[in-house]
This record gives sequence, C-alpha cells and structure tokens, in this order.
Amino acid sequence: MAELEIEGLSLAFGGLRVLDNVSLQVETGELFALIGPNGAGKTSVFNCISGLYRGSGSIKFRGQELTKLAPHAIARLGIARTFQHGELFPHMSVVETLLTGRHAHCRGNVISGMLNLPRARREEFRQRAEVERIIELTELEHYRHAPVDALPFGLQKLVGFARALAMEPKLLLLDEPSAGLNRDEREDLARFILRVKHEIGLAILWIEHDMQMISDLADRIQVLDYGCTLASGPPAKVLSNPKVIEAYLGHSSA
Amino acid sequence: MSRHPPRASGYFRTSYAQDHALIQTRLEWLATAALAVALCGVPLIASPFLLDLATQVLLAIVGALALALLTGYAGQISLGHAGLLAAGAFTVGILFKEFNAPFWISLPAAAVTGAALGVVFGLPSLRLRGLYLAVSTLALHFVVVYLGGEYESKRGFSTGIMIDPPSLLGVSITSGRAWYLVMLGAAVVALLLAANILRSHTGRAWRAVHANETVAGALGINVAAAKLGAFVITSSMTAVAGGLFAYHRGFVSVEAFSLYLSIQYIAMIIIGGMGSLLGAVLGAIFVTLFPYAIEALVGMLPGSQRYAGSLFAVNYAAFGVVMILFLIFEPLGLVGIWRRLQSFFLLWPFKQRPVGGGRK
Repeated sequence: MAELEIEGLSLAFGGLRVLDNVSLQVETGELFALIGPNGAGKTSVFNCISGLYRGSGSIKFRGQELTKLAPHAIARLGIARTFQHGELFPHMSVVETLLTGRHAHCRGNVISGMLNLPRARREEFRQRAEVERIIELTELEHYRHAPVDALPFGLQKLVGFARALAMEPKLLLLDEPSAGLNRDEREDLARFILRVKHEIGLAILWIEHDMQMISDLADRIQVLDYGCTLASGPPAKVLSNPKVIEAYLGHSSA
Repeated sequence: MSRHPPRASGYFRTSYAQDHALIQTRLEWLATAALAVALCGVPLIASPFLLDLATQVLLAIVGALALALLTGYAGQISLGHAGLLAAGAFTVGILFKEFNAPFWISLPAAAVTGAALGVVFGLPSLRLRGLYLAVSTLALHFVVVYLGGEYESKRGFSTGIMIDPPSLLGVSITSGRAWYLVMLGAAVVALLLAANILRSHTGRAWRAVHANETVAGALGINVAAAKLGAFVITSSMTAVAGGLFAYHRGFVSVEAFSLYLSIQYIAMIIIGGMGSLLGAVLGAIFVTLFPYAIEALVGMLPGSQRYAGSLFAVNYAAFGVVMILFLIFEPLGLVGIWRRLQSFFLLWPFKQRPVGGGRK
C-alpha cells in the first residue's frame, strides 16, 4: 500500500518554477531516496508535504489529502521530518528535546500540568519512558541531560533524527541527514536508518547527496533536476542513467 | 528547567520521579528548608520599613514570573504588562465599589479578567512578531488604562478608588506582617505554578515556539494555540498580581500603571536573566530595591539636601545606565553570574563542564 502519493505537484515563487509536475509514491516500509543537484527542489517537496509551502497538485497520505491542512495537523497524522541543520531548541537537554517531539502524544490539560496533579505526573513518566526507548534506539544514553547546543554537530543531527522518531511517525522525512557528518557518524546513521526501517517498518522519504549511502541503502530513487523528475527506479538503474550523470557532472566534452 | 546546575559526583537518579522533581538532592532540600524558615522569620525581626520593602519585592516577583514565562520562555514580547496589572487592580476596585465583593470573589474575578484580556493581547501575536507585537501590546495597555480612567471619572472617583483591607479566614489583613505573609504565599504559589508549567508539555511547547515556530509546527505543536495559551495564563497571573497590589495599597488609580511600570518589569527579566525563573526572582529583587539603594547612596553624599530635588532624575538615569550595562556586559543577567559562581566552586580545579552534562 502506498503511504504517500504525490500527484502532479507544482510550485512556483513568482515566475520561478520550483517544482514542475512532480509525482512519486512511497510504499509502506520503503526507503525512498530523493536526489538531485542543489536547487533541484528536493527540500521544497518536503516543505509541500509538511504544509509549509502550498503547491498545486495532490499530496495524499494514506489516502488523505494534505494540501489543505495546517503544518501541525499534518504532523499529527504521523508525518515527522528532520531538518538540514538540525534545528534543535537551544537550552533544552536531549531528554527535553525528545519529550517535545512527543507533544502530540501528551495527554492532559494545562491546569493539571500547572498543579502537577498525579495524573499529569503519571503522563509525564509515561512519556519519559517512551523517550527512553528512543534514546536506546539511537544510542544517546551518554547525553541524556546534556544541553543540545553544547553537543557536536553530528550528535545534534542525531538528536534531530531521534526527535522525529519520538513522534512515532508512520512516514519519516529525512532532509540530508548525513550532511556535515564524518565517516563514523555516517555509518552510525546508516545503521540507525536501517534499524528504524526494519524494526519499526516506517516509510522513509530521504533526501541525500551521499551516492554511496544511497546506492547501498535505498530501495528506490527519484532524481529531480530544476523541479522536474529526471529518472526514478531502483538505484543501480537510476545511477547509471546518462541523464542523471549529466545533471550531476555536466556535459561530457566528447 | 533550562540549565541543570552542575552537581558533585555520586548522585544518581533511579526513577523518573527523581528526574522530574524540582528539588533533587538532600542538600537542596536542606537549603530550601533553611530559606523557608528564613523567609517566614523575616516579619519577626525586620523593621516596618524593611518589611514593606520585602512585601513589594514579593509582589513584583509574581508579576516578573508571569512576564518571564511569556517573554523569556514563550518568546512573546509584551509592553502591556502594566495594563494587565491595571486590569486586575481595577477589577478588584470596581467589584469592591459596585458590589462590595469579598477577597475570594474579586481575586478570581481578576484572574478571569486577565485571562480574557490575555486572548485580546495574544491575538496580534498570531500575525505579528518582535517589535510589532510589542507595539500592539503597548496599544492595548493604553486602552486598558483609558477605560480605567473613564470609570474613575464617570463614577466620580477622580482621585482613585479606595478599597477596604480584605479579610482572609475571618482575619482582616491590615498589618505589615500579615501582608508580608500573604505576598510570600502568592510568590511561592506563582513560582510553583510557573515551574510546573515549564516541566509539562505546555512549557515545552512554549519553548519550542520561542525557538522556531516552523519546527514547532512540524512537531505537531499548534503554534497559534500555544501562543494564545501563553498569553492567557501569564495575563491571568499578572492580573492577580494587580489585584493583590490594589488590596495592598488599599487604593486604585490609573497613575500607578504608567508605561514606566511595564519597562520596569521588562528590566526585571533582562537584568535577572531571560529564560530563567530564578532570574525573574533576582531581577524583581534588584529592580524593586534599586531606587532605595540609589536614594541611600545619594543620601551619603556630602550636602545631600541640595540633591534631594533631583533624586527622581538621578534614579531614572541610573536605572537606564544599569540596564544598558547589563545588556552589554552580562546578557545572561544576574542568574548568569550566579551560575558561573556555582560552576566555579563545583568544578574547581577544573574550568569546563564535560559535554555529557554534569548531571546523569
């Protein structure tokens, strides 16, 4: 079953066409990579899915149309995303960051929280236990109470990934999770992505520039260039496509 | 709480309840108990003047905590704080004059008025940010003060509304000691409520909205609702502080709620340290006591009688200078100084905290 179905998505800022009739489908449990040169419109696709940009066309999540929904309503349907630069909340510890990711799952009103009533406390402990599961999954045990702004960039990105997982999404959007990571961190990340895919069975839409990682991990690839779909299919086929090579490396002089 | 204080080694938590607790170690419990005893003992030894000063500080703490939640945590700038205090004070005054309402009706009524005004103050925040939002709250400040002034003049209380002292559990609160204890209770309750909000999902949502609205939305946080909620709750707290202020003075008049008062409250959270409840408390103490300190200093100068007339101007100027100095040299405020001291002693002979956090 398709988790995410994008049909004929177009987006323009004034006269600039950012996305031109993009269509794609992400199946349940699939790791779907979206690649393309800088400025190809990959992040714009994400922003359209999460409701930050309003394009024309249709975006359906499990059959439900997303294009009219507010960003927080879309997130609450079970779509989580990470950001290119981490975008963590300064002054929060790792635990607090992940608890914030669980906001949509937190029950109880402001008043019971203000008075710290037993049911608010029980709820808080329940969420804390869920967060602990994510901490274990992403091996962040050493940094539970570290302020996120004091962590090195690689860990910050991992915390961003963990925060998205804490939302218990059904569809995960990863925006260049490996950018800025060193080799060890990339290998860890690849391990976590596979773990999430196999243990939780999430559908993942993944923007990436690291061709090695993509050809090793992705189930399917779609290539964007100037907002148009250049190619799509299994990695081996797409990455050997002359048009894709040309978009990345330029014309051959021969 | 945003920054965990560093702790000496050997302290391990074994349950989520310990993780959640506001007071964690035995030493912290002891310190809190000592502070509580000291605060309760103040009325026994302090002179009436000092007691009144302490009462003013405690009242300022309630207002400063509310503003710290709104601006320091939820990131919504408000110049309308004096307007909300006025709204609470006038609610109490009007209910007393028109219906002779008792304490336990008019204070909750002030809270409700504050909450309702919070919606009005908060609506612009859905569209406006930063300075623009500040100006819109400033406009509302003038609307509230104007309405208060209209009431005064229409009903013939042009010099202000006199209010009888309230009675609590059958005891009329008139003495300085009784007022001190009432305000101490109010400040403690406000501090607990604020701390509880911050460790609940509501507080986390506010902080997320403060840091980045786009990301907060992507986490499923309803940004508009979070902002409005922050305005409603903190406005309600502020209006209660305004109501207490009215009862304490026994008198309500629009002159008390000038723009300068709003600026003083903003100064409290800046000087104390943005994004910290302790900062709000320290800032409230500092800003409330500051004019008295200046007065005492000027009094020590030779020939002080000659300056007596310009004391007001000196006060304003000194206040401005202190605020600028804090913004330039200590943006973390008094709480920043406090934390550095704490870290210095706990980490000595080392200088830096390990990245894994001092607390595990």
